[in-house]
Amino acid sequence: MSLTRTPAAAEAAAVAVAPQREAGRMRRMVRGEAAFGYLLMAPVIIYLALLLLYPLLLSVWFSLTDASTGQPFGSWVGLKNFTDVWSNETFRLALRNSFIFTFGSEIGKAILGTVLAFLLLRRFRGKKVLRALLVLPWTVPVALTTLGWLLLFDPTFSMLNRTTSAIGFPYHPNWLGEPVPAMIAIMMANIWRGFPFSAIILLAGLTSVPPEILESAALDGCGFLRRFHYIIVPMIAPILFIGLLFDLVFSFTDLSVVYLLTRGGPENTTHILPELAYQNGIQGGDLAQGAAISLFMLPVFVVACVIMLRILRRREI
Amino acid sequence: MASKAFEVSAPARAQERSPWLTRARKESIVTWVGLAFFLIIALFPIVIMLVTSFKQAGDLISVQTPPLWFHKWPTFAHYTYLFKQTKFLTWAWNTIVISFFTVVITLILAVPAAYALARLHFPNAENFGIGIFLTYLVPPALLFLPLTIILSRYVNLIDTKWALVVVYPTFTTPFCVWLLMGFFKTIPIEVEEAARVDGCSRLQAILRVVLPLSIPGLLTVAIFAFTLGMQEYIYALTFISNSLEKPVTIGVTSDLIRGDEYFWGELMAGALLAGIPVAILYNFFLDHFVEGISQGAIK
Repeated sequence: MSLTRTPAAAEAAAVAVAPQREAGRMRRMVRGEAAFGYLLMAPVIIYLALLLLYPLLLSVWFSLTDASTGQPFGSWVGLKNFTDVWSNETFRLALRNSFIFTFGSEIGKAILGTVLAFLLLRRFRGKKVLRALLVLPWTVPVALTTLGWLLLFDPTFSMLNRTTSAIGFPYHPNWLGEPVPAMIAIMMANIWRGFPFSAIILLAGLTSVPPEILESAALDGCGFLRRFHYIIVPMIAPILFIGLLFDLVFSFTDLSVVYLLTRGGPENTTHILPELAYQNGIQGGDLAQGAAISLFMLPVFVVACVIMLRILRRREI
Repeated sequence: MASKAFEVSAPARAQERSPWLTRARKESIVTWVGLAFFLIIALFPIVIMLVTSFKQAGDLISVQTPPLWFHKWPTFAHYTYLFKQTKFLTWAWNTIVISFFTVVITLILAVPAAYALARLHFPNAENFGIGIFLTYLVPPALLFLPLTIILSRYVNLIDTKWALVVVYPTFTTPFCVWLLMGFFKTIPIEVEEAARVDGCSRLQAILRVVLPLSIPGLLTVAIFAFTLGMQEYIYALTFISNSLEKPVTIGVTSDLIRGDEYFWGELMAGALLAGIPVAILYNFFLDHFVEGISQGAIK
């Protein structure tokens, strides 16, 4: 056995040790970084778990008991609330109305929003001021502008009817007093509120398409429709989709327009799910049934989440 | 509508005859006709609100005269009534307090999380980011019932503005994390590394270098959270019934409507006074909001 090591061997040993030591240091650093990361994430995760996840689970629990606002921790009744609600005429109408209200509004917003977006794409003077005015329906709180619609529809003053008859429009119903006009009325107010947002989102998508690509496609003999179909649509689809999903979920679950305009009337014909859940759960005090009604909105939310997840995952590839 | 179609097509037919009507002129006419159409739609209810808020009671009631203009002298009576006889100023102050503390809590929660997601490598970071983005989709309509019970049984905050301060960050924080993440990513990592080489700890580097550089981003997020706080309706409607604790959206919409009695002039005055500042703030934020959404779509 030799006690003396050649310099070459010592050097070799040192070289072998160095990366090991380096790797250890790196591992410690990575572990430290991970710990720091979790530490920074902790407040938001704890907060959201307490005030978002826990209430969601609590809501499921309420819907399976006979809870009321006076006695929130009632006893287990299984699916009784859901079957009760399902067999209720008013609820079924509200479920149907929710879909009509949401999709009807979405179609209206899409049409007005698309036209407005293409208009805003053009060059003209005073664009900033005009845009600020055009987005007012979206930027003023919806609860407050809905008061304006309440006045427009009010049968005593019938301001909308007087204005439309002045320009020769023939349809003058008692807007909030009859079932079908009342549905149209809440959708009108909702479309008015939302179309600027659709326009702005679409505009963001359109301006994100580099003009050079469109120009070179045009030079290659691509007509407007083909450019639209093969370049514009695929490039802006993700933005549009995310905007549409946000809008769908918020439209479907917003009660302010309906609550302020009709409160579900006349004769319970214009209820929508969130507003019915509020009326039963808070004003009627039937927490269990309110929770059951609101949980019928969950599937829509889950579907929206799944689609959103797919979009978010795809962008990484 | 009919007249609009006419205006567009008539000059188009005249095009061959008149050199005045160039292609550019024609396009600009189409643009302005379209814009006028949308301006009328967007502003009609708001102008009605504005006119009504200045109308004398007798003028409002007379159904024979067109609603869009004054037939008696405008009056400030509704505004003075609003300030002197109602709790409007209290409600406005409540809204400011609620929104301010919402911003504070939002920043405390969102800044560290956004930094971690933008800069640090740790397992599941990506999933946390997406998870937080998705929580922005959780609608208040699913949460207001259980939150009412939590706020009244677990902590005794129900019927006070602090109930809203506690709850509002649930919908402001997720989007703010997402936006701030984008801001932090635009700060070159070299700046931070240079600070660390100079002897700063990671935390010091964040506090002294990263945060000062992201002040525009922090301001944007603060404005956003503030605006959302000022707009909120469902939670305020559910949690607050004490008139002195109401934010302005609920104060105006519930306290100025008593049964079948509508104080239209005061209602419209209150709605505009409360709504226009929000609109101005929101307008500043609009581009960033769109950026935040498209950031989710294209990285």
